[in-house]
Amino acid sequence: MTSSKKSAMQIIEVTEELSPAGMFLGALKSSRKKPGVVTALPPITYVRPSVKLDAAHIAAYAKVCGYSEAQGVPIIYPQMLTFPLMMAFFASPECPWPGMGTVHLANRIAQHAILKAGDQLRVEVATGDLIAHEKGQVFNMEMKVLRGDELVWDATQTLLRIGVKNPAGPKFISALNADLPLSRQADIRAASDIGRRYGKVSGDMNPIHLSALSAKLFGFRAAIAHGLWTKARALAQLMPPYAVAQAAVNVEFKTPLFLPATASLWATHSELSTAFEVRNQKGDKPHLRGQICYA
Amino acid sequence: MNTIRRVAIIGGNRIPFARSNSVYSSASNQEMFTATLQGLVDRFNLHGERLGDVVGGAVMKHSRDFNLVRESVLSTTLSPQTPAFDIQQACGTGLEAAMIVANKIALGHIECGMAGGVDTTSDAPIGVNEKMRKILLEASRAKSTGQRLGSLAKMRPGMLVSPTLPRNGEPRTGYSMGEHAELMAREWNISREDQDALALKSHLNLARAYKDGFFTDLMTPFKGVAVDNNLRADLTIEKLRSLKPAFDKKVAPNQGTLTAGNSTPLTDGASAVLLASEEWAAAKNLPVLAYLSFSEVAAVDFFDKKEGLLMAPAYAVPRMLARAGISLQDFDFYEIHEAFAAQVLCTLKAWQDEAYCKEKLGLDKALGAIDLSKLNINGSSLAAGHPFAATGGRIVATLAKMLNQKGSGRGLISICAAGGQGVVAILEK
Repeated sequence: MTSSKKSAMQIIEVTEELSPAGMFLGALKSSRKKPGVVTALPPITYVRPSVKLDAAHIAAYAKVCGYSEAQGVPIIYPQMLTFPLMMAFFASPECPWPGMGTVHLANRIAQHAILKAGDQLRVEVATGDLIAHEKGQVFNMEMKVLRGDELVWDATQTLLRIGVKNPAGPKFISALNADLPLSRQADIRAASDIGRRYGKVSGDMNPIHLSALSAKLFGFRAAIAHGLWTKARALAQLMPPYAVAQAAVNVEFKTPLFLPATASLWATHSELSTAFEVRNQKGDKPHLRGQICYA
Repeated sequence: MNTIRRVAIIGGNRIPFARSNSVYSSASNQEMFTATLQGLVDRFNLHGERLGDVVGGAVMKHSRDFNLVRESVLSTTLSPQTPAFDIQQACGTGLEAAMIVANKIALGHIECGMAGGVDTTSDAPIGVNEKMRKILLEASRAKSTGQRLGSLAKMRPGMLVSPTLPRNGEPRTGYSMGEHAELMAREWNISREDQDALALKSHLNLARAYKDGFFTDLMTPFKGVAVDNNLRADLTIEKLRSLKPAFDKKVAPNQGTLTAGNSTPLTDGASAVLLASEEWAAAKNLPVLAYLSFSEVAAVDFFDKKEGLLMAPAYAVPRMLARAGISLQDFDFYEIHEAFAAQVLCTLKAWQDEAYCKEKLGLDKALGAIDLSKLNINGSSLAAGHPFAATGGRIVATLAKMLNQKGSGRGLISICAAGGQGVVAILEK
């Protein structure tokens, strides 16, 4: 890792490949953090200056998430490239909270161009705003993917640090309308090994996803599906059977999907958007709610 | 040579429709059609009467039922001298039968007749395995015992467990009706929400019609059933939304909008109507419900030109309107058979589409929208169910009664049929 100070914004380049185990160890070590009052995140951007889109890895990701080859590089796939940067942030002293016990609350992605295997990309993750949530402190991580000078993809990952008292920032407001009438589209099978399979592809080997036993160690009654897997699985089903150039996806994570499970996918399509939810099998409890918009 | 006469609809009768493999699972077509005709005979006291003709048919038919309608007539208390014959035009069978009888009456060839249809998908004809059938035919042609045994020795146990089953599909495309309707819904951009809303309305309207006693003189209970058992009077939009797409796997993976709720189920049932000249009705002192004044049939090239399989009524209606000299809006009631909610919505959308009306239908401008509060106001096939050949008779009797209740007016019937066909008619009072 090399770091350079540029005005107020600190830029840290991450060039070495971190092993999943190394990343997890960093996250674990970060558990000892005991922050005081946090009023803002330090302005830092983590960068992978040159990442080549790997066809084999995209194929492995597409398979686990249920995408077809014709759908091209899945819209959430670039988020895989941000994972080492996220882990570097959590392990760093600049992140006031431990990585473990931070909950994925929402995710917004905008894709601006079709990506192809072989593309050389610059991947950036920057610290963002603080938002106050009734359950704790919400903070945003701003992600960007550039191909040369062209911004091809950007995203906001909204995370919740549960239990932070007197959280800073404006009040959290859910951006997605819950009143739209949705219709059942399909069932989504989440096998007991999906956490391990997705963990292997994504590098996110958080034990709460891997097995019932390891999840119990962290206070969950069973392993829970990665939120980004559930989101990807729903998008694989809902998005067109071809590669889309421009689209935006907003998702809020509502309740954990305990493995194994059969979830149900609900949606309503209008001309340029699709509102959707992944619910439990009975269809009365949402795991995640989202909206896809096409330009 | 007679002049053309008005054709009076005197009444109709049906047995309650039942979902496939439910209460009528052991009833044959002949049994159901006989009960339906007998109910009509009883209602109008036609015992021993010789009618001009009885025309009807079934889509799913056993080879032994080659004379289904005549055999049914012989089992009623009508005069055994009443002639009868079978026709088949898929889901258009019932209405086509009424048109044939009506034309004979209009031309003065007969004074009165019955028309109808029946279908069962429970007591369906299952053919023996095709290879086994060939062996059996070969054995029957054999001239010696040795030859016969030689043929029969070719039989294999597997042939017994893989019979030829009837299927609800288009022979030329290999797609089922539902898959074709799904393709149409995609082409016309018909939303799942609109389809579910139409399905809900069908159930609520049919339930209200039963509550009002509308069907009391249009129905004969059968096998202890008095109400169509597909009807869900307590249906909610939430329940419809909770059903998964049923026909999308082959034609539109993950994009389906047709479900078991907004499509008709396989159904068993029968219906018939009594048609007559005004003179015959007056002589019998039978009031006239309405008159069958126009009819039209059309077909589309769904194979080479890839037109929507169930879009033929969109063509048939404007042709009929031109002959009648009226517009699509000149009706008090619209009875558009709900094979699928999507079929109804595609047809209505097509009639409002300027380009489609000009280029495909050859019109000057779009036919326009209809007043939806006049559409299928006493429920239709989504709620009642759809025993293919029996739907026409159900609709003719229902619409005739609605016109009689109103006292005067005009109603449109539109029915789509397999093979890319459409059968439509106008009833007036």
